[in-house]
Amino acid sequence: MLQRNLFALAFLLAGLVCAAAHGPTPQKADESVTIPAPPEHVWALIAAFGGIGQWHPLVLKVEATGGDAAGAERVLTLAKGEITEGLDEADLAGRRLSYRLSKENIEAIPVSFYTATIEVLPAAGGSEVRWSARFYRADTSNFPPDELNDDAAIAAMSDFLRRGLEGLKAKAGGQ
Amino acid sequence: MRLKPALASSAIQLLATGLVVAASSAWATPPVVAVVSQQAASVALIDVETTAVMATIAVPRVPAGIAAAPNGARLFVTHPDLGLISRIDVGARRVDARFSIGREPFGIAIIDAGRSLLVTDWSADALIRIDAETGAETGRVAIGRSPAGLVVDEAAGRAYVADRESDTLSVVELTSLTRIAVVPTGRAPFALALSPDRERVYVANVRSGDLSVVSTARLIEVARPKVGLMPYGVAVTADGARILVSNQQSGKLALVDADSLAVVADPRIGSYPEGIAALSNERAAAVNWAGDEVVLVDLADVKVIARIGVGAGPRNLTILPENGSMGATGADRARP
Repeated sequence: MLQRNLFALAFLLAGLVCAAAHGPTPQKADESVTIPAPPEHVWALIAAFGGIGQWHPLVLKVEATGGDAAGAERVLTLAKGEITEGLDEADLAGRRLSYRLSKENIEAIPVSFYTATIEVLPAAGGSEVRWSARFYRADTSNFPPDELNDDAAIAAMSDFLRRGLEGLKAKAGGQ
Repeated sequence: MRLKPALASSAIQLLATGLVVAASSAWATPPVVAVVSQQAASVALIDVETTAVMATIAVPRVPAGIAAAPNGARLFVTHPDLGLISRIDVGARRVDARFSIGREPFGIAIIDAGRSLLVTDWSADALIRIDAETGAETGRVAIGRSPAGLVVDEAAGRAYVADRESDTLSVVELTSLTRIAVVPTGRAPFALALSPDRERVYVANVRSGDLSVVSTARLIEVARPKVGLMPYGVAVTADGARILVSNQQSGKLALVDADSLAVVADPRIGSYPEGIAALSNERAAAVNWAGDEVVLVDLADVKVIARIGVGAGPRNLTILPENGSMGATGADRARP
């Protein structure tokens, strides 16, 4: 796969990995699902920034601060550890959240930084939810091991989004 | 030949940086932009009047920055992880040379009427000068950490470089390749643009979400308005009245009034926009990285008027000056 060898910047200055210090080669995950429930109902589940644990099967526990407005934070406990996400924008009219990874943990999920957007759109029979992320692999040197390379990052992020949307659908669908 | 004398003699040479393009005021609506797609490893040539993709040129892996020679005959593309610059013969629509350059060449600009390149080296923390014919390094100067975008004011004999991890703007004197000033900016400066009157450099700061306005006469930051989430591209209209900032995280284009420095509009233009260019006072082109498209934006109506599909992962674009070498659209464009 081409992406196996994709570049990520060697910002391993003095051995330090700085989140958001990345340069040229981000990766992408993009998932969507149609849910037979009104957009406002689906949005209510998503807009509660600290409520992701109510519908995402991979999120075991959430500790949230700051409510549902920009600046809020949530610490997600996943199977292999914690990550922290920060809410950057809550567009209520557009039913759209934009947030970022503010504290990485490559044991929990093998990426070194991401921004993500989740939005709810009206669709025939209910709602369409689109969830996308822009991220960098865990090991941003030019020769990452397999478990920390671009493929691993794409697989992990895509799986996280897809299973989250499945959980969201199960939670919201038909109610 | 359709080369316009006003363009050839313009005091401000082409300002392509590989990351952003400040439109020079000498032409109204340049017909062609070149777009570099990172995942697809290609460069698309797009006629922005017809919105047609005229050509898609394969390049080496993971290209990042792009700049056009002032006569439009060549494009230069950086490939940071390969330590490589590829040179495209625009008329032949193919890569005709590859130069091994530094460690991680990223931002790029062209000087000396196309004879030399200036390239930022992200991991060597340097600005490197290169002979555009041979690829030989002809000089370098140490600058701040992880230098990203650059913009050149040849009339003033200067290059301005965004030192992303130092939160500074480096000012380099071109003849001697000397770093003559270091201007503190917001956090994580990445892309930048020069005002047409050359009095200001605008620097987009990714982490602090603001725009450093630097006076070129005083070499200090004179203002730093907030512009949005993760600004990754900046350009200025030809009349200097509007500063265009692509806010990657929110998918918006911020239109900033150059006098008041207020955001006067910020329409959503797509998914993770990055590189942006002002085509005229009324029109801009930007890439949407996650949407695999280029959008044309009408700046008066503040709306997207065209979406043009390109190879996966577009990051940057540059205006291709007319030189008659495009070949595809008529006899008047025969190669010189």
